[in-house]
Amino acid sequence: MTITRRSFVALSLCASAQSLLAQQEGGIASRGVKAQAKPAPSGRPFNAQFTDVAKDAGLHAPVIYGGIDQKKYIVEANGCGCAFIDYDNDGWMDIFLLSGTRLEGAPPEATNRLYKNNRDGTFTDVTEKAGLKAVGWANGVCVGDYDNDGFDDIFCTYFGQNRLFKNNGNGTFMDVTKEAGLLQPGPARWGAGCAFVDYNRDGHLDLFVSNYIRFSFEHAPVPGEKSTCNWKGIPVNCGPRGLPTGRHILYRNNGDGTFTDVSKQAGIDVAIESYGMTVVAADFDEDGWPDIFVACDSTPSLLFMNNHDGTFREEGVTRGVALSDDGMEQAGMGVGIGDYNLDGHLDLFKTHFIDDTSGFYRNDGKGNFDEVTRAARIGVETRFTSWGAGIVDLDNDGNPDVLFVTGSVYPEVEKKLPQYPYKTRRVLFRNLGNGTFEELESQGGEGISAAHSSRGCAFGDFDNDGDMDVLIVNMNEPPSLLRNDLKVKQNWLKVKLEGVKSNRSAIGARVIARFAGKSQAQALVSQSSYYSCNDPRLHFGLGPASEADLEIYWPSGLHESYPKVAGNRLVTILEGKGLVPNRGWNR
Amino acid sequence: MLVLAIAMGALPTTISAQAPDRRVSSITAALRDENYELALQLIRAALADSPASSELWTMQGVAFKGSNRPKEALASFRKALKLSPNNMIALRGAAQIAVDQGDAAGIPILEHILKLDPNDRTSHAMVAVLEYQQGDCTAALPHFEKAASVFEQRPAGLRAYAACLVKQKRFDDAIAVFSRTLEADPENAQERRVLAAVQLMGQHPEAAITTISPLLSATPDPQTLELASQAYEQAHETEKAVDYLRQAILLNPNDVNLYLEFAAIAEKHQSLQVGINVVNDGINLQPEAAALYFARGMLYVQLSEYDKAQSDFDRAYQLDPKSSLSAAAQGLTAVQQNDFTKALAGIQEKLRTRPNDPILLYMQADILTEQDPKPGSTEFNTALNSARRAVALKPSLGPAHAVLAKLYMSAEHYPEAVRESRKAFQADPADQTALYHLVRALRKTDQKGEIPGLLKQLAVLRQQANSKKREENRVKLVEGEPEVR
Repeated sequence: MTITRRSFVALSLCASAQSLLAQQEGGIASRGVKAQAKPAPSGRPFNAQFTDVAKDAGLHAPVIYGGIDQKKYIVEANGCGCAFIDYDNDGWMDIFLLSGTRLEGAPPEATNRLYKNNRDGTFTDVTEKAGLKAVGWANGVCVGDYDNDGFDDIFCTYFGQNRLFKNNGNGTFMDVTKEAGLLQPGPARWGAGCAFVDYNRDGHLDLFVSNYIRFSFEHAPVPGEKSTCNWKGIPVNCGPRGLPTGRHILYRNNGDGTFTDVSKQAGIDVAIESYGMTVVAADFDEDGWPDIFVACDSTPSLLFMNNHDGTFREEGVTRGVALSDDGMEQAGMGVGIGDYNLDGHLDLFKTHFIDDTSGFYRNDGKGNFDEVTRAARIGVETRFTSWGAGIVDLDNDGNPDVLFVTGSVYPEVEKKLPQYPYKTRRVLFRNLGNGTFEELESQGGEGISAAHSSRGCAFGDFDNDGDMDVLIVNMNEPPSLLRNDLKVKQNWLKVKLEGVKSNRSAIGARVIARFAGKSQAQALVSQSSYYSCNDPRLHFGLGPASEADLEIYWPSGLHESYPKVAGNRLVTILEGKGLVPNRGWNR
Repeated sequence: MLVLAIAMGALPTTISAQAPDRRVSSITAALRDENYELALQLIRAALADSPASSELWTMQGVAFKGSNRPKEALASFRKALKLSPNNMIALRGAAQIAVDQGDAAGIPILEHILKLDPNDRTSHAMVAVLEYQQGDCTAALPHFEKAASVFEQRPAGLRAYAACLVKQKRFDDAIAVFSRTLEADPENAQERRVLAAVQLMGQHPEAAITTISPLLSATPDPQTLELASQAYEQAHETEKAVDYLRQAILLNPNDVNLYLEFAAIAEKHQSLQVGINVVNDGINLQPEAAALYFARGMLYVQLSEYDKAQSDFDRAYQLDPKSSLSAAAQGLTAVQQNDFTKALAGIQEKLRTRPNDPILLYMQADILTEQDPKPGSTEFNTALNSARRAVALKPSLGPAHAVLAKLYMSAEHYPEAVRESRKAFQADPADQTALYHLVRALRKTDQKGEIPGLLKQLAVLRQQANSKKREENRVKLVEGEPEVR
């Protein structure tokens, strides 16, 4: 029997990576991976139930983003992020939502929005009053106190000019982009992910901005024009493949309200072949200096390791977070950061395109990652294009779960291929506590099963009831606000950090909570999920444990221990001083 | 045979110079006159008086060789060498007989000659040919290179040289040598096809098209058309590739390989139904061709038509139960449907009757590995043992090395993972996965010096793969005339 070599290769690969069906169709990398077989259900109840309360909470305005039924350009397709931010320091999480616009011109509701938390489950739109009305193709948001004045500021990336909004401390913001030296001359750039990060540990938050592609409406191909402009045989918006890659930027905070582009001297500009998206900055190798991870679309993701001298070296591939386990590029979009196996080290979760699994990467504590997607049973899900994600303990059992939101980038496809809908459900994986996860299709409540074309999401406790809620951006729809209602109460602990020698927001701090024989690490970051920013109060579910020992690794290098911290409360810790009264917190 | 003449040409003179006995002069004269019977009579008499004369035994060897009695000749030369190991005439005589008989025993004799005379190109040529005949191109190539001028006018030797270069994947060098054989005989269609085929192996499709063009302008045979199809497909001219392949099928509709070739192009361009239709034509004409059912099954798998795929794989296995691939393919649909239990059961059933089939062993290892067995578990050990046996039975089976590497990585046996990843990558230098695993394994072993170079290679492979995929997506085959989008 004569078999061509190609047939044999296809056969042999099929069993290992199921690459027989592999297609990098169109302009986005997808490995064509078949889902891992689902194990039998554990039969264990899941206590968290999610209800979308956005409407009742007053979040009515749609997030305008490109065409509704068709996306001519990729600019319209990727959407934007959102943030939980306590802009008025009242101890209640407010909401900041980004927005896009439309090719034919911005409709009146197209603007970023700030919603003030009324502390009763409702919010008030204070965008105009706060001076945050802004129209454009916004993408990412990161929150941090860049000027150390005690109030969190907002940085937004755009296709076009990025914007820095300084919090005036009186409920208003001021666009200080120009004054801060962040104007970008020349052709419009596509700012994507961003992160405040004190990379040189001088106590001032610097700023990393990933760029997606170099794009112009004048030169961009249109659906069907190239091989990268078709998906499943249907003409769709083109890219990112076939379009030139972006250039990432590191800005050093000069400590006087201005920034300087140090990309070249810091070694950031060597990464030129990447479509950068979400940025997460944390100390992955536990050497006391923040590193920077950039999820990249259809190119290897990047991990910039801090050299302690103002420079970085990019080591994503060798450290195991750039490619899939079989060495293939993936469409990295969103990033969750957390400690799923309670070994005290920060793991990463990365979302990808349809027909691919998300990626789960276990950190050995030295910044070397092993992909555990299949071992953790995350590989059972490949049906959705996935975006914002978090490794968050949703049921307070002490084991961080995984939640991510999904949605297609091609609204025009479902008319011809109904099996590829534009709006798809949220995905919830419950941590079984043994290194594996169980996908819950029907146990998370209607907030999980509801279909939207979602993008960014932020995790936080908007109602201060001791569990983690979820804010979600839906394309051309109002956002979702998933209120978490726990059927069975378990213990928890929230940690709010305030830097003194470190930056005031304490961004870059790593906290380890030890309870019931477990050690859970969390990092305070200014961006994760998809272009979004979580509640800065680190939330630890404690399960039956009533207290936890806390270890805090401050960005300044200071290491503090706080034994036997009682649970079911928020503690505010001032660097070098200890526990201080909470600001505005009441329950 | 000309090589022999070079070796024997100086023999009588040399012998006469070495043997002072008067009888030797008579023997030498008889040998010069090719009167071997007389020479043998004289030698026998002389040996009775001087049994320890290496020269006399050598002359007897020459006489026997001239009488077409190689066995006795070889025995005489050996006796001469026993008495005088560096007797060059005896060495050459013995070597020549071994070369004539294609006997590898001549290799150490020739190596001895080359120690005494390292510049003896004839001996280099002889070693090269003998090593080539033994299938050892690694040993043959240095001798071919040193004896290049000896082969200038000998196309058979040049072909052997070039074949070795191909075997060592030195395609550009092989192309240079095959070009010389074609220059020597430009009307030889087979020479032309061989050169074009090697040019294709060397990824020079345009050169292959140029080489084969004269054959296409006449009335091409199916073999030439198939080669042209491969060349044009490699040159990204799929329309022409399909056109030539269709012509080949029309000329030789019973050639199963042509349908397989078409199926491969259809699969590459994700034109699966077109591929199935063409393979159907082949099956109508060759209903007992297992390979066609296998190929159609592969296409059905990609269309997710698992029942049809399974039916084809079953049929392929029924028609050719000895084939590893058709046996392994039976588990394919189950793997695609995530039914690893069924897939494994199918493979293990086949393994019971063919326990030493490397592909089945590899499949068993791979299916088990897909389920992430814990190191030390029964499943892990079975997978490990299966993969080890697969590579022992078929060392060139790259995917089996890759599975073995994965298992070693999982068990934190990093040096072994490095070794196996390296072998997987050697088996397929375009395999990104193997290269990536090699990088990861090296990192774990702290052997970081090699990594930067490998990362560059990985980036190049990624770019090549992306370009290739873009090209494949550019063209879809349709019924009738191909369409370029």
